[in-house]
Amino acid sequence: MNRTKWEPYVWLLPSIILVAVFVIFPILIVFRLSFSEISKSGVIGGFIGFQNYVDAINLPAFTTVMKNTFWWVVSVVGLSTVIGFIIALVLNQAFPGRKIARSILILPWATSLVIQASVWNYIIKYEYGNLNNILLNLGIISRAINWRSSYQIEFVWECFVGIFVTIPFVTFCVLSGLQSIDPSLYEAATVDGAGFWSKLKNVTLPLVKPSLTVSTVLNIIYVFNSFPIVYTMTKGAPANKTDTMITYLYMLSFYERKKGPATALSVIGFLILCVCASVYMIGVMRNEEAA
Amino acid sequence: MTGEFRRQNKIALFLMMIGLILSLIIMLLPLYTFRAGVFTKKSSNTFYGDEKYLAARAEVEEAAREFESSGFPVTITEDALERTNSKGETTSLYTFTIEQTFGRNLFAFLRSPLASGHVFRFLLCTAVLTLLFALLGLAGSIDTHPKYLPKGKAFFRSASVISGVLSLLSVPVFVMLNNYTFSRKLSLYRDELIEDGKEAFYTKLDSFLFNGTAGDQFESMVSKLEIHRSGLLWLLLPALLIMLVAAVEIRHGAVKNTLLRMAMYVFIVIVSVITVYPYFVMLITGLRSNAETLDMYFLHILPTEWMFSNLADILHRGVARYLLNSLMVAGGATLIAMLCGVPAAYALARMNFKGKKVFLGFVIVSQMFSPVVLLIGISQLMNTLHLNNTIVGLMLINAAFNQAFAIWLLRGTFISISPEMEEAALIDGCGTVRALTKVLIPMAAPGIVTALIFVFINAWNEYTISTVLISTASKRPITVGITQFSSFNMIEWQYLFAASLLATIPVVILFMSIEKHLTAGLTSGGVKG
Repeated sequence: MNRTKWEPYVWLLPSIILVAVFVIFPILIVFRLSFSEISKSGVIGGFIGFQNYVDAINLPAFTTVMKNTFWWVVSVVGLSTVIGFIIALVLNQAFPGRKIARSILILPWATSLVIQASVWNYIIKYEYGNLNNILLNLGIISRAINWRSSYQIEFVWECFVGIFVTIPFVTFCVLSGLQSIDPSLYEAATVDGAGFWSKLKNVTLPLVKPSLTVSTVLNIIYVFNSFPIVYTMTKGAPANKTDTMITYLYMLSFYERKKGPATALSVIGFLILCVCASVYMIGVMRNEEAA
Repeated sequence: MTGEFRRQNKIALFLMMIGLILSLIIMLLPLYTFRAGVFTKKSSNTFYGDEKYLAARAEVEEAAREFESSGFPVTITEDALERTNSKGETTSLYTFTIEQTFGRNLFAFLRSPLASGHVFRFLLCTAVLTLLFALLGLAGSIDTHPKYLPKGKAFFRSASVISGVLSLLSVPVFVMLNNYTFSRKLSLYRDELIEDGKEAFYTKLDSFLFNGTAGDQFESMVSKLEIHRSGLLWLLLPALLIMLVAAVEIRHGAVKNTLLRMAMYVFIVIVSVITVYPYFVMLITGLRSNAETLDMYFLHILPTEWMFSNLADILHRGVARYLLNSLMVAGGATLIAMLCGVPAAYALARMNFKGKKVFLGFVIVSQMFSPVVLLIGISQLMNTLHLNNTIVGLMLINAAFNQAFAIWLLRGTFISISPEMEEAALIDGCGTVRALTKVLIPMAAPGIVTALIFVFINAWNEYTISTVLISTASKRPITVGITQFSSFNMIEWQYLFAASLLATIPVVILFMSIEKHLTAGLTSGGVKG
């Protein structure tokens, strides 16, 4: 075949243009804005060095928001990975009804986060919520329970919904990893006298590790960027005590008109994600070398 | 070898009997204690301390002594209802109530017409049947290996296991029904929140609590009914579990594996129920009347009237428009993402060129960028391009941020198809474009459809960027549109969830259709890069 040297680039061009304009360009804009003076009305002024970053760190809610973001990411990613992994192990067994179970367990992945969050928001209402309704009418409780009595508990609920919607992604990543394992490996392990735990540790885990890495790193990024759950359930109230970085920078920039510190926060968040991305890249490269 | 089975089966049978005896002993304990009025008397119009009062009081005390002789302590309470007669004198109407605390063991439920009575009878039957079936299954084949049982014996042994499971499940149901009947349902009737079936319910409760002697006095006697359940009741669970384990041993021989499988089923069922629950809530709340969504008394689980009119209402309130917008945004984004993504994926799968590795790395990294962290930059860019508040703007952003995933999935698909067919087409004189559209794309159709649907769903479910970019109500996609039903001062839950239903059902169906391909694509892209 006699393809010209530049032919591949022509094929790539539309994709490059699309991503360059709508992904790369906004990144550059955010970087530039974070070093510029921005008035309350949004007029962009001159270069002011790191002033916006200093302002961002000095915001009264900054520490709380960073702490929340940390716990949000760690608890949601950690727990959903563990639970999703267990579900995948079970779904990998042959049992009647497995197909139905698979279809059911993937549901939360297909649903818009804002809808999931709204439904859970209604479910845990104290005065008329569905959870109290069901539990009372089934005779499990005899008095309505206030499921969201403090902001700490509300934050725990937000984490719960986060875990709930994240599990399917982990499950299905691990599941496809599990399905690619050669069954003869297990047979060999059985012949060697390996029990359930030993097989899990020596056969399953090492072989599923690549899928698990993919899902964990992608989840860190998705969960970090998750906006609708916190925004729908509490809007960060009271006084930013349940805000994560993303909801906080949204509030800062579009409600409180503090675009300067908000862009600085954006850049900080972006850099955190870049660190995750590079960890991921290194992982992928290693896999490629191994393969 | 046969002797071994005989010994094992004997041990199992012995354990099963122990389990049954333990259960029966627990059932004999007075696990439920009630505190209720057992006798009431109303005095005629009287003053405190006068003759009529004393006479009534004496009569009540007489009755109380009688009740006390049964061994349960009693207390007498009196309520005065004051009224002023025509002469201006204040007289009182006294109501004396004798309250007694009395215990009931579970066998008291044996003759009870209440729902929990049915469950208790079922529990007792299944527990006894577990043993009976086991005996029938063992008779004459106690030495046989569980795998080579004659059909009839295997049937009885299986029936024993099933009975064991059912009796175990009956325990929580029994407890729940008692809670429901004695506190919740009674209070609903007492507070006159529901009316239907009150007479029948009171008669049943009367016959259980007072052997049907309360009659007209029933309502005042249960006005302060308290029920207390002893925690010892939960000991029934381990006792019945012993029976079940023994039954499993008799049926399969391999207890550990079977129990593990059962635990697995329980786990999957619990997880599935939790997963389906929010969708169930969406359905029943979306088709309710507004009053019922805000029902403070929690009267009904299901809507009393299924309001399909909610769907018509929301369509008139803009939802039809939002759905159309979402369709345009998601459709447009998918189209753009595919038009840009298919050639790129083709080049990355089939051609070798300088910078291929860099581009692949770039594709993976750009997958890391979520539009959300770049919100401010994106809204600034859209202002500059005059795409702010336009559906086209949303299409482009969604296409761009799904580009990485699309290329990822598509490249994986293309690589998995052998290039021979296209090469043949190329030799026949077709151009590369024709080889791609006529040969490769039809062959890669399943993978392309998967990528297509995936991008479509992501764009359809997108919320954050749309809230920032769209300010005109008529241009909102459905995810943003539904929030109009939940403003700060009033939330119309029924409309919110009816609209959510319409927004969810199509994508859920689409998603399930690609579920299988998606998992394959996910890891092949992720692991192979």
